[in-house]
Amino acid sequence: MIDLSVDLGKGLSLQNPILAASGTFGYGDEIADLVEIEQFGGIVTKSLSWQPRVGNPPPRIVETSAGMINSIGLANIGLDTFLKEKAPFLSRLKCKVIVNIAASTKSEFIQVICVLDREKWIAGYEINVSCPNVEEGGIAFGTNPKVLYRLSAELRQKTDRFLIIKLTPNVTDIASLAVAVQQSGADAISMINTLYGAAIDINTFRPKISTVIGGLSGPAIKPVALALLIKARKAVDIPIIGIGGISCGADVIEFMLAGASAIQLGSVNFFNPLAMHEILDFLQQYLAKQQITSIRDIIGKAQL
Amino acid sequence: MKYCTTGVVQSNQQVAQAIFLTKIHTPIIAQNCSPAQFVNFYFPDSVKLFPRPFSIAGKEGENILILYKIVGSQTALMSQWSKGTELKLLGPLGNSFKITQRHYTNYILLAGGVGAAPLLFLRDELSAVGIKPYFFIGARTNSELPLNQDEKSHLLLSTDDGSAGFQGTVIAHFIHHLNQFAAPSIVCTCGPEVMLKALKQYNLPEYFDVFVSLERVMACGLGLCQGCVVRMSKPDAEPYYSLVCKDGPVFNLKDVQLDD
Repeated sequence: MIDLSVDLGKGLSLQNPILAASGTFGYGDEIADLVEIEQFGGIVTKSLSWQPRVGNPPPRIVETSAGMINSIGLANIGLDTFLKEKAPFLSRLKCKVIVNIAASTKSEFIQVICVLDREKWIAGYEINVSCPNVEEGGIAFGTNPKVLYRLSAELRQKTDRFLIIKLTPNVTDIASLAVAVQQSGADAISMINTLYGAAIDINTFRPKISTVIGGLSGPAIKPVALALLIKARKAVDIPIIGIGGISCGADVIEFMLAGASAIQLGSVNFFNPLAMHEILDFLQQYLAKQQITSIRDIIGKAQL
Repeated sequence: MKYCTTGVVQSNQQVAQAIFLTKIHTPIIAQNCSPAQFVNFYFPDSVKLFPRPFSIAGKEGENILILYKIVGSQTALMSQWSKGTELKLLGPLGNSFKITQRHYTNYILLAGGVGAAPLLFLRDELSAVGIKPYFFIGARTNSELPLNQDEKSHLLLSTDDGSAGFQGTVIAHFIHHLNQFAAPSIVCTCGPEVMLKALKQYNLPEYFDVFVSLERVMACGLGLCQGCVVRMSKPDAEPYYSLVCKDGPVFNLKDVQLDD
């Protein structure tokens, strides 16, 4: 039997390295009749903010070559409704549940964390400092190493929970941001969020996304994500959770060889809702064929 | 309950200009679907990744019917499907037309082109309970009408160019006949957004309940991506967005804003 479990340190171990990425899996309950959610290593919830957010006007999504652009605008039900309506389902799941948090200000992040810290079932937080689709907060926290360090260090002081900072690729020097996260005392990095993307309708001359520029995701961004992962991996020692266009088992192996301790499935959940099951089968077969007994043994083993 | 399953094409016939009707053997979906629910087709395409949502146009035993028009590369591919073609699909998705909540004097279906799909299914369900609806179908020209004759409904055709039936839009045709529906009536409609806007702008008498099946670009069809929104405006609530894939595709026409 192949051991697919991974350990992200500080008490966070996953039965396998496959996480569902924030914003691509709702709160899990939407798809529970179709996917055996508990077979994920864990799920990362849709970004949660203190107050509900209605999100951006349509059109919010457009299909592009081997990918898509979205501008949802962090639409979510807000903390109160989350605790009333989603927590009962999520708290019963056997896989790990990581809550992704978005906020416009540092104090809003702290407010949300202080409330969520009372919920024993939450395995950790992923801090969204990388959303390209909101005017306040989001990416503004994630592009300057000093600003990111101050935010992350303060959140570190407020909670003992596993703390993940989700990085944006829309920067010139990803390594400096990774270093800021490590120095702040956060437990892990997840990367990458979406790349800036735009598309224009040649018949109407209008942008295909209401906010003009949105976030590009899907297989199209995989090589970018992998390159940035390699850069960050060289700069820090804390675990990195790889994200960006991963759609099949081979992609998972590639990211883990490059140094990812776990990965997240994002857009693939839209165009192949059963991807996780197919990937777990692939990992078992691949590792058996390679005569590798634990998936942990391939992490960072690419000859870079 | 929704199912990710395999379907097998039984037939794939052209029924009008660029419009096809395909029959797909998929027992679990056929047994569980209702009018206005839809299925996602998954294509083995590494460039265009989104599944494509199609309204179910009816069911025959263990088969579902899909009425579609060639508008892009995936529908062009579908037109090449032949008996025995296997495909991956997911469904049934979304909500459905509710016709049993209240008794109406008139049951009226308004279809724009291939927007007829969910209404064909609804017509079958109405027929099964002994109701013969008024079925208005409009198209640009005679060759684009997906249906020419029908025993299960009072068929009322219109074309923009007058090559068949009433000359004008399906909404103009319906308004032309409005006087004969002077009693509690239900209208179920599906078609291009411009047609739905025309219907919404026309202030129908209060004894009409109007339900619309909307179409949107969807990345997932499951309520995950939150891309397929429609703005809602109800009298006592702040405007908000609903998901066409999960909260719809059927909405009360008075609750939705179609100006986005």
